[in-house]
Amino acid sequence: MGIYQEKDLRMLKYHILVSPRHDHAVRDVAGILGMGVQPLRRLLIERLDMQYLENLAGRYDQWVEHGDRKDPLDRALGRELFTRYLPLVDSSGMDLILAEARASVEAGIPASEAATRARARLAEVLRP
Amino acid sequence: MKKVVDVSIPLGPVHPCWKEPARVKCETRGEKVLAAEVELGYMKKGIERIMKGRPWQEVLFLAERVCGICSVIHNMVFIEGMEAVSGIAVPDRAAYLRVIVNELDRIQSHLLANFSFCYTIEHETLAMYLLNTRERAMDCLERITGARVNKAFMIPGGVRFDLRDNDRAALLTDLDWIQNEVDRYTRMFDTGPLIATRTKGVGILTQEQARIARAVGPTARASGIAEDVRLAHPTYRKLNFAPLVRMEGDNHARIMLRFGEIFQSIGLIHRCLSDLPEGPIRGGGTCGAGETVSRGEAPRGELSYFILSDEYGRIVDIAIRTPSIMNIDACTHFMLPGVTSLADVTSVFVSADPCIACNER
Amino acid sequence: MNLLQDAKNWVRARSIHVAYVDVGSCNGCDIEVLACLAPRYDIEQYGILVHNNPREADILLVVGAMTPQWIDKLPALWAKIPAPKAAIAIGNCPISGCVYNRRETYILGPVSKYIPIAAEVPGCPPRPTEILSAVLSVAPTVFRDYEVKRP
Ligand code: SF4
Repeated sequence: MGIYQEKDLRMLKYHILVSPRHDHAVRDVAGILGMGVQPLRRLLIERLDMQYLENLAGRYDQWVEHGDRKDPLDRALGRELFTRYLPLVDSSGMDLILAEARASVEAGIPASEAATRARARLAEVLRP
Repeated sequence: MKKVVDVSIPLGPVHPCWKEPARVKCETRGEKVLAAEVELGYMKKGIERIMKGRPWQEVLFLAERVCGICSVIHNMVFIEGMEAVSGIAVPDRAAYLRVIVNELDRIQSHLLANFSFCYTIEHETLAMYLLNTRERAMDCLERITGARVNKAFMIPGGVRFDLRDNDRAALLTDLDWIQNEVDRYTRMFDTGPLIATRTKGVGILTQEQARIARAVGPTARASGIAEDVRLAHPTYRKLNFAPLVRMEGDNHARIMLRFGEIFQSIGLIHRCLSDLPEGPIRGGGTCGAGETVSRGEAPRGELSYFILSDEYGRIVDIAIRTPSIMNIDACTHFMLPGVTSLADVTSVFVSADPCIACNER
Repeated sequence: MNLLQDAKNWVRARSIHVAYVDVGSCNGCDIEVLACLAPRYDIEQYGILVHNNPREADILLVVGAMTPQWIDKLPALWAKIPAPKAAIAIGNCPISGCVYNRRETYILGPVSKYIPIAAEVPGCPPRPTEILSAVLSVAPTVFRDYEVKRP
């Protein structure tokens, strides 16, 4: 009979991601990362299980309301968003990027510029 | 040293303890669960897609069929959304009747949830008692609304049927009976030493974790989050509603909280019946264009509908967020990791009252 | 038909193991099947045992409208049930797709395309008593002459 239960779930996962609320959340996250929507969808489909995807909009809304309240740089990069709400990177990798960004802010680069660079780094790390 | 192998143990989709198909894959070391992963798609019917472009009369019936256990609240939230976009007022009597039916639905849903939990921990006696008690609640619902499961009781501008005098008398007797019985079972559940070993300290969800996964309803309230959408509902505010909260966040707290809410619902129905105003049960109005987010407290937690309609009352866009989405997420990603025995996986999963039909729509 | 075969058939028709599978319902029918367990309907007094193990089942209750994930799994599940066996479709969903059978849907019904259905109980949802009487009336006709028919 074979392992008939292990099945390709990508299409089903895609169906979850295209419903209206999830689509908004995906677009917002793509905006944060400066990534295209379709590559981000692919990334989410590969890294997260179906329940995370179903709850994507819920978790994202929760982060918008409560996550990363203290530090503006954390907020701009979505530190908790990508490590806890949507666990795509581990916290050590995230801390590394953040430390670099902080160092460059101290070196005199304006905060917004540093954030943009750090985002690009983050997108790089995330890309498979 | 003994070599420990990490194994991934799949549970489901057809599992003796689960009413609905879902597949939970548990990564284990020995008996300890390290992580869990859910595989869905067994119930994906695409209701939101079917709803788009249909008149509200059809969406009314589709909305109920998102979930057959809590069909009343889906009905209520959708209708309240349609009323909000088209400015239809509800007569007072109808508003109270809605609360009565909604609370009866909550009673039967909570009894069913606790039945499944007791059945899962193999306490069949208590489970059967609870299921039998539920039948009485179903009788009350059937007498008032005319159907057992999909009732379509609420319509824009009111409700379909009035509460007749003999139904009211029967409702009062049945509520007393349910209260007595559930009181007994609550004590049995609370004091049973064997039940305590399967429930206390098992499947803990901390308050912080509950916030991350945005847990709602009894699952969140058992972890100390005092959130309840009924607090914002005008009719419930008239009834002085206040949510119950427990702090432990384990299986025991969740089940006991549901028992507590059954008593609370009975109290609410009593209060509704005593101040039930006289008057018509149906107002008039036409459904029109608008956009709104309508919320309501389902037995499992916050349910919200985003509705966008055109001037003929057709649904242009709709998005449904059901409570099970958040609760199953909280359950599988926070409660299950750390469970010390595989035997507890099923009971922890069931204790969050998962409803896969809602989850996938 | 000899006496032993007679006895076997007779016993079979009086001890029915039921499994149910949900292939994408709204839960309404699901819950009505569960309600049959309640002491009020007392399904066990008729010799019916509901549990969810297909390998021991005689009768499969199919609930729901056939979602894509099931199209390979339902026949596989059906193959696991030992003969004699029968499937009963509960509710409108497995029969016609009920409200889900519209444009834009994901379902791929009806269930009878995938496994043979012996009986259908229409209703949205049917009452527990109707489900019970369907099981009771299908069981004897399926099992009555099984020992003689057997290949
Ligand atoms: S027939 Fe009706 S009640 Fe039964 S599963 Fe289908 S929609 Fe739900």
